[in-house]
Formats: sequence, C-alpha cells, structure tokens
Amino acid sequence: MPTFPNVRLANRPLHFIYLCDCSGSMAAQGKMQALNQAIRQSLPGMARVARENPEARVLVRAVRFADRAHWHIAEPTPVEQLQWQDLQAGGVTAMGEALELVAAQLASPPMEERALPPVLVLISDGQPTDDFEAGLALLLRQPWAQKAVRLAIAVGHDADQEVLQQFIGPDPEAQLPAGEVPGASGEMPRHRTGGSGRSPRRPLQASNATTLAQYIQWASTAVVGAASMPASRVDGDVSGSNIPLPDLPPTMVDMVEDVGPVVW
Amino acid sequence: MTWILPENSQLSFEGLSTPLHVLKGLGSGSQGQVYEVELAGERLALKWYLPACIARDRQLESRLAAAIGATAPSASFLWPIALLRPTAATQAQLRCRESGFGYLMGLRPPGFVGAIEHYGGRVDLELRQVLRACLELTDAFHALHSRGLCYKDISLGNLFLEPSSGRILICDNDNVDVDGRDLGSVLGTPGFIAPEILMGRARPGANSDLHSLAVLIFRLLTRHDPFRGALEREIRCLDEPARRRLYGEDPVFIFDSEDQRNRPDPELHPAPLVTWPIYPRELQALFLQTFGPGLREPGRRALTGQWQEALSRTLDRRQLCPSCGQENFPAIGADAPAAPSCWNCGTVLPPPLELELPCARVVAATGTTLHRHHLDPLQPPQWDAPFAEVVAHPSDPQLLGLRNASGSDWEVTLLQGRQITVAPGMSCNLAALRELHTDGGVIRVRR
Ligand SMILES: Nc1ncnc2c1ncn2[C@@H]1O[C@H](COP(=O)(O)OP(=O)(O)OP(=O)(O)O)[C@@H](O)[C@H]1O
Ligand SMILES: [Zn+2]
Repeated sequence: MPTFPNVRLANRPLHFIYLCDCSGSMAAQGKMQALNQAIRQSLPGMARVARENPEARVLVRAVRFADRAHWHIAEPTPVEQLQWQDLQAGGVTAMGEALELVAAQLASPPMEERALPPVLVLISDGQPTDDFEAGLALLLRQPWAQKAVRLAIAVGHDADQEVLQQFIGPDPEAQLPAGEVPGASGEMPRHRTGGSGRSPRRPLQASNATTLAQYIQWASTAVVGAASMPASRVDGDVSGSNIPLPDLPPTMVDMVEDVGPVVW
Repeated sequence: MTWILPENSQLSFEGLSTPLHVLKGLGSGSQGQVYEVELAGERLALKWYLPACIARDRQLESRLAAAIGATAPSASFLWPIALLRPTAATQAQLRCRESGFGYLMGLRPPGFVGAIEHYGGRVDLELRQVLRACLELTDAFHALHSRGLCYKDISLGNLFLEPSSGRILICDNDNVDVDGRDLGSVLGTPGFIAPEILMGRARPGANSDLHSLAVLIFRLLTRHDPFRGALEREIRCLDEPARRRLYGEDPVFIFDSEDQRNRPDPELHPAPLVTWPIYPRELQALFLQTFGPGLREPGRRALTGQWQEALSRTLDRRQLCPSCGQENFPAIGADAPAAPSCWNCGTVLPPPLELELPCARVVAATGTTLHRHHLDPLQPPQWDAPFAEVVAHPSDPQLLGLRNASGSDWEVTLLQGRQITVAPGMSCNLAALRELHTDGGVIRVRR
C-alpha cells in the first residue's frame, strides 16, 4: 500500500511552568483543592491543543512554594503523559525562591537553543514572605524569561496585586493618561479584554472555584495555542508584547451545581 | 470546558418556528464555541460567538447575513445556513450575560478529520488523496473567487478532510466577503498571511487568498512550512517579531530558484527534503512562481485555474513503483525523463500504459479514476462520481483492468479487433484493449 512518506516534522519545545502558592492560607475555604482540581481538569484540553499544534512540543513543569520552593514536577513532561499529584498547603510564601528556581531552568543551557516562548503562570493568594524582588530580578535577567508569556492568577482577595503585576511586567494600558479610553485613537481596542475591563496583562482575579478553573483552562489552552501556532489575526492586534494574547474567557454566570466557595 | 449554551437543552431562537435541541459542545476556538444541534430532525453545527469577538468585529453580523442570503459557491463549503439570535427566554438560560448570536451550518460528517491530523502525520493517506484534497480545495476557491468573493483566512485550521477519499470541507466561512469591499477586520492566520497584508501594505482579498492557498497546498503536500528553512534556524525564540521577519519583512521560499539563504536544514527540517522532490516540475513551478516574484507582486501569483490544471495533470501521471509500490508522478509524453526512478527506492520506473481521452492522457495505475473533465473540459470533475476506475485483477495484482463505473455499457474493441460490451460494474483487461467507447467519448490505450 502506498502511503504519504513518514517524515519527521519540524517542531520546537514550548515550556509551560506553573508556579503554585502552597502557603497555609491556601488550605482555607478549599482553595488548594480547587487549584488541584482546576489544573487536573484542564489537562485534557491542554493535551488537545498540543495535539492540534504539531509544530510545538508542549512540556509542562510545576514549582510549589511555601516555607521553601521546590519543583513539584521537575522533568519537562509532555502534557499527554502528565499526571497531576495534589499539592498540599502549609507554610509561608517563598515566592522569590520559586522565581529563582525557574530562573535557573530558563538559563541556556538547560534551555534548548531554539524554542517557542515559554509560558509562566504564577498563582498566589497572598504576599511573598521572602525576597521577591531579588528572585524576580534574577528571573528577568534570563532572556527566555523576558520572552516568556507571564500570567498571574490572584486566588481570592488577599493576593498581593502589586507583586503579581511586577511579575507580569508593566501593563501598557495602565500608562494611558487618566480618562483616556484604551484604543480610542485607533479603531479597535488594543487589548482583548473580554469586555469587562479585565486584561491578561493584569493579575486575573479568581474569586471562586469556577473562575479559577476558567483561568487555568484559558492559560493552558488558548495561551498555549497563541504561543505555539497562532490563531487568526484581526486589525489592531498589535499589542505591547511579543505574543498577542487571546481573549480572556467571557464572564460566565455561575450555575448552582458547580459553585465552589462563594466568598474567599 | 465551560459551554455558553447549556448542553442537552431545548432553546428557542428568533425566526425559528421550532426550538433547537443543543446536543453537546464540539469544540472551541478563538472566536467562539461550536455545538452539535438538532433542528426539525436534522443534525447541524451551531457556531456561537464569544462576546469579545462580536465587540471586535462590527461587520460580522452583516457579512454573515450576506453569506446566508447567497448560496454556497460549491458543496465543499460548510456554508452558513441561518443566523440565530436568542429569544429573551433563551438569553436567560445562557451562561454569558452579554447578548450574542451564532449561525447554523452543516455538521462535519463522520470520516472527516481536521487537516492538521494529516499535517501532524496522524492519519494515513495516499499521495493521490492528498493531491485530490488540494485539487478540491482549489476548485472550491476557484468557485468562490469566480463569484467575486474572497475567503481571507484560509489555514490548516479551517479545513476538514476525509482520509479515505481526499474529499474536503471548508468551515469558518464567516470572513467571506465581496472582494475589495473590505467589510471586516480579519487579516489571516500567521504563516498563511500574504506578506503585503502582514506588513500593512494591503487589505486581504482574492489576491492574498492566492498566497494563503499556495501555503496551504504546500503544507498539505510536504508537511512543512514554505518559509521555515535556514533563516528559521537562526531564530532562537519563535515569537511574533520573529514571525514578522520570516513571513513579512524578508520572506524567502525554502526552495527559491535563486535565493539560497533559506534552504531546509537536514537536521531541523527533514520533511520537505523528502516530500518536495516527489512532485513534478510543473507543480513545483507554481510554488516557485507564487513564493518567488509573487511574494512582492501579488499579480504574479499562480491562479486557481493554474493550480487546478497542474494538480489534475499530476494526478493523471500517477505510477506505482513495481518494487516498493509507492506513488510516483514523472512527466509523460514529450517531457518524459529518459529513465525516471522511484523517489522512495530508486528503482527505474518502466514505461507506463497510458489512456488517451479527449481531454487528457492518464497513466493506468491501480486506484486511478477517470472523471467527466477528462472527456469534456467544460464539465466539473465530480470527484465523487468517476465513470471509470483502474483496478487490479483480484487474484493477479499485476493484471490491470478498467472498471466501468458509469451507468451505461461500453463498446470495447480488443487488440485483435474483436468487439465486446462491458456492462456497468464489469472490468476489462487493459492488456487486451485497444479502445473503448463510453457515452462521453473514446478512450484509447497507448503502449
Ligand atoms: N461544522 C462543524 N462541524 C463539526 N465541528 C466543527 C464544525 N465547525 C467547527 N467545528 C469544530 O469546532 C471547533 C472550533 O471551531 P473553529 O476552529 O472554527 O472555531 P474558531 O473560533 O473559528 O477558531 P479559530 O478562529 O481559532 O480557528 C474545532 O474543533 C472544529 O473542529
Ligand atoms: Zn520504489
């Protein structure tokens, strides 16, 4: 039987790294369980996106931080092979150390010579208790970290927004003069905000389990897609970053059956 | 996945006399979510737009309405059937407060897969099926462009194909527009966007479709990107600025006839080094044209008619290697190389048996089909309805026959001059055949 030749495809690695806050406060109101669930539930969708992007090898890792920071998944793991082990909460918030761990891995080597922009997702519900600034400075010294898509998810209302914003980098919209509508000068809004003033360049506020799951799903599917095989472009897509970010998920109305903790 | 429309629900929409049964969510993309639905006993697909997409693309609704008002240019399009706006009762059931709309289209039939499955090497196709898919794709674009329309955003993601036949379906027809009217904000998909669009020098239209179409055909035929060669090797982080350079500022075709800067790297880009040489010069020439002078001068891109001709001539030249069985497409007639050899194993291919039809010369090889356009250039090919097929004898695969797949008898003259009749469904041994009369014209065997 003749067949299309079995050729090896050109591809590049796409490193996706979760940085998960496991401090004691995450134990409250089921936040830790909600995060474990959200990540576990997001994996099939992430695997599907990886499958639809044969030009990318999606490799996942995770760092957990509490009293100290540790690699929770140290080996870059193809998403279809990934099994999420539950994170446990307890301790303080060594976020700076977590950034140092990631910085060491984004140095070349161990980073490959050629890759797609890495995706770093920082998830936290509180304030760093160690030297965050030093960790961030170390991270941002790495060219691969500068190129990375850096997202932050604030779990509940006690997260340090300032610190999360520093991790993401400056929000271009925040620098507009007061009162000016973003994109008012051009035809289209510069940012795909999802229609409610939210922006992927700002910390994403997850106030309940449903929203947390939506943001995790968005980061692990839409953002991975954008960083590997870009989707259709429309006018005004020129954003400040090296990867145009996809629209945030629409704000969904909570249905009774999957409401997690209502207030955190 | 969080679905905006509740799965397994009955929803009413304005203008629909019966409620729509939303069965389940099928998938989501950057613009919206797609559902399998049932309306009055018929299974259909519903695309529901995300609020951000509606906010960004203000002409979306009017473009859709125009598409729905017109009919599909060909059966290869999963064309929009009806625009759906929720009634107040339905809006209250949606998981998204912002009001939205969607459209109905045909459901992808079983057996069809996303074209990315072929690109990713996860389905087995024969080369003839890939060529057939490319040909159907060009037929579809030919029909679309002939109506003065343009597609604007063709890419691997908007194409379904049926591996067993090479048939195709084009979805995501919501950017289709009258060429030149420019109602819409889509630019295309990176990697497929023509350089002048990416660089902001022009707006998407039929001319830029010709670039995107050539990229898509190249990627289907070679499983590689036409601009990823040595210049990509120099890029450490493949991000937006890097893509701009590769596809917009300084695009160089990996097989450009003069500019050698972007040749495939055997380590990083092995696929095109294997696949490109399979195709005949005539077909390669259209890529060299479109990705050579056509990159800077859109008017010099190969036209859909040229692709149709080159692709169908390639299919007509298909020969099977006697030692490895692989498909080869060497030129025939006056352009035939002295001793063509198999791209896969190097075996010299014996001179083939050719069928001479009123409008084509077709090499006889198992699986090759004959269509109306071989008899009459004004007929559409009707890919799913060949009137003849070359078949191997069930017990002797070396023995080739021509099976009558038409509805009427063939009058056949054998080599010794004897006349016989071949009824529909029967096959006659090509080795014994001189010529045969079909109701559409005469076929002669050339040895
Ligand atoms: N007519 C259809 N029948 C069955 N499945 C479909 C149909 N149209 C689209 N789909 C599936 O729905 C999913 C989303 O569709 P699609 O990719 O068109 O969305 P999109 O928002 O336009 O995405 P993008 O613009 O990013 O390509 C895909 O998995 C696709 O295969
Ligand atoms: Zn061979």
